[in-house]
Amino acid sequence: MIEIKDLHKSYKMGSNSLHVLKGINFTAEEGELVAIMGSSGSGKSTLLNILGMLDGANSGEYNLDGVPIKDLTETKAAQYRNKFLGFIFQSFNLINYKSALENVALPLYYQKVGRKERQVKAMSYLERVGLKEWAEHLPSELSGGQKQRVAIARAMAAEPKVLLADEPTGALDSTTSYEVMDLIQKINDEGNTILVVTHEEDIAHMCKRIVHLKDGVIVEDKKIDQVRAEQYV
Amino acid sequence: MFDRDIWQEIFHTLKNNKLRTFLTGFSVGWAIFILVMLLASVNGMQNGFTGQFNDDATNSIFIRPGTTSKAYAGFEAGRRIQFKNGDVEYIRKSFPEDVEYLSARYYSRTSARYKSETGSYPIQAVHPEFQMIEKTIVINGRYFNDADHTNKSKVAVIGRKVAEDLFKKEDPVGKFVQFNESLFRIVGVFIDEGDDNAERRIYAPIGTFQRVYGNTNNISAIALTYNTSYDLTKALEFSGRLEDIMKRRHKVSPEDQAGINVWNYAEAFSDISSFSTVLSTISIGVGFLILIAGIVGIGNIMVFTIKERTKEIGVRKALGAKPQQIINLVLLESTFITALSGFIGLIFAWVILSLIGPTIETPAFSNPSVSLSTVVTATIILIVAGVLAGLIPAIKAANVKPIVALSDK
Repeated sequence: MIEIKDLHKSYKMGSNSLHVLKGINFTAEEGELVAIMGSSGSGKSTLLNILGMLDGANSGEYNLDGVPIKDLTETKAAQYRNKFLGFIFQSFNLINYKSALENVALPLYYQKVGRKERQVKAMSYLERVGLKEWAEHLPSELSGGQKQRVAIARAMAAEPKVLLADEPTGALDSTTSYEVMDLIQKINDEGNTILVVTHEEDIAHMCKRIVHLKDGVIVEDKKIDQVRAEQYV
Repeated sequence: MFDRDIWQEIFHTLKNNKLRTFLTGFSVGWAIFILVMLLASVNGMQNGFTGQFNDDATNSIFIRPGTTSKAYAGFEAGRRIQFKNGDVEYIRKSFPEDVEYLSARYYSRTSARYKSETGSYPIQAVHPEFQMIEKTIVINGRYFNDADHTNKSKVAVIGRKVAEDLFKKEDPVGKFVQFNESLFRIVGVFIDEGDDNAERRIYAPIGTFQRVYGNTNNISAIALTYNTSYDLTKALEFSGRLEDIMKRRHKVSPEDQAGINVWNYAEAFSDISSFSTVLSTISIGVGFLILIAGIVGIGNIMVFTIKERTKEIGVRKALGAKPQQIINLVLLESTFITALSGFIGLIFAWVILSLIGPTIETPAFSNPSVSLSTVVTATIILIVAGVLAGLIPAIKAANVKPIVALSDK
C-alpha cells in the first residue's frame, strides 16, 4: 500500500539547512496498523506530512497504492489527498461553525458528492463512531473524545486508502484515549490501513507494528502483539 | 457559485463579525452613494441648462440688429441698424439650401380688451413658420397660416395665461379681442412648457401687423432654423456665412460684434455639453477615488479574515479542497459584501433622488436623477471591485500551506 525508498528531507533555516529525514525506507501493507514513534525532533511528523502529501520530499520515492507521488501540483495533491488519505489530528481541527454532521460531510463535498447523498453517508459514519444523536451539535458542544470521534468519522467518510493519525490521543485523558484507540482498532479490523504517530508507549502497543524514528532514520521496525483497547474502556 | 455550503459559510462569517462587516460595507456603500449623487447632480445641472433652451428648436439661429461700435465704410460708430422685410427675403434667396424655417420678428406691446376684461401684453408679429422655430404648441384652435399672412387677416394666437385673463372659462377661439384700436379674431391658444411668462404673449401675422400699425417695413429681429442634417461644424460655418453677408449688407465692420449679433444655439449647446462632460468626468473620477478607498478597506478586512481562518483553510486543503475552491470562496465573499453594500448605497441614493429630485426646479438645476445605464454601470463596477478586493487575499489563502496551518497547535 505504502512504499517509501530512500526518502530525504531538509529544511532551510536561514543560511543553515536542517536535515530532518536522512534516507527512510518503509513499506506498509494493506490492513496494517502501524505506530510511528520517536521523540520530538526525530522527524516523525515530517514523515507523516510527506506521507500525507502536505509536504514534499527532497529526494526518494513514494508510491501510494501503486501511484507515484512526485512533483504534484497543488490541485493534483488536493485530489490525491481527498481520494487516498484521511487525516486525524491531535487538535481535532473540526470547523467550529459547522455541525458534527457537516464536518463529516466536508470531504464528500470536495469529492463533489450531492448534498442528499452526503448527508446520508455522513450520518452513517457518525453512527459508526456512536455519535448519531450528536449530529446537529457544534464542536463546541462536544467533549474532547467526541470531537476526536467526529474527526475520525470525517477522515473515514471519503473512504480513503490510508488513515493518517497525528497524535490522535495527544489532547485526551487516558480513558478517552483508549476509547479512541478502541475505535481505531475496530476500523483497522475492517481492513483499513492506519498509520498512527505517537510518543506514548501504551498507545503504540495498541497497534500491530511499531516503527521507531531517531534523528531522521528508522532505528527499529518490529511487529508486536496488539493490546486491545477494549479491556480498558 | 450557487452552492448552499459556500453561502452558508459566507453568512456565517458575516454574522459572526457584524461590526466589521458593517464598517467595510459602509465604506463601499458610501462610495457608491456619493458616486451616484455626484452623477445625479451633474445630470440635474444638465437638465437645468437644457431646460433653459428646450422651448426653442436646437438648430435655431437668431439675428439681432444693434448699434455699431466701429466706424466702417464711411459711417461713424454709434449707428443703429434697422432690419426690414427685405432682409428676410434676402436671406431666403441667399441660402435656399441651408435655411429650414425663416421668420421676421416684430416686437411690440398692446392693450387687449374682451368684454369687461382688459390687460397689457407683449405682442410678437411673426411669419407662420415661426411656430416651428419656437416650437410653439397650440392646444386649442390653430396657428395662423400663410393665407392669413398674405391676406393680412386680423387674427392672433394667444398664450394660455392671456386666455385665462381675458376669457376666464370661455373658449377664446373665434372670439374677437380689441388690440389697441383694432379688433382681432383669436384663432388659437398656445402653451409653453419652458416658462409661464412666455404664455403671457400674443402672436400675430407680421403682414397684418406692419399694415395695421404704422404701415412699416421695419422688423425687430430675424429668427431661423437651419437644415437639420447639419452637424456642429456645418452649423457654425453656416452661421458664419450668415453673419458675413448680413454685416456686408448693412455695412457693419466684420469685427463689430455690437452692430449685428448672430446667435447660434448649436454653439451655446456645444459649450454647455462640453462643460457638463467635463463635470461628469470629474465627478466620475472623484467617485472612483472614493470607491478605491472602499475597495482597499474590503481587501484589508479580507486579509484579516484569511489570517484568522488560516487553520480552517489548512484543514480544508488536507480534506481535499483545491486551491481554486479556496479562491472561489474568498472571492465570492468579498464580491458579496461589496455588491450588497454597494446596492444598499445605490438604493439609498436612488430613494433620496426620487423623493427630492422632482421637487427641485431651479433655472440652473432641475430634476437630478440617474439613468438606468448609470445603475447598470455602477453594478458592474461593484462586482469588478469586489473581485479586485478579494483577489490578493484569495491568492494568499490559496497559498496557505496545510502543513504550516496545521502545525500551529
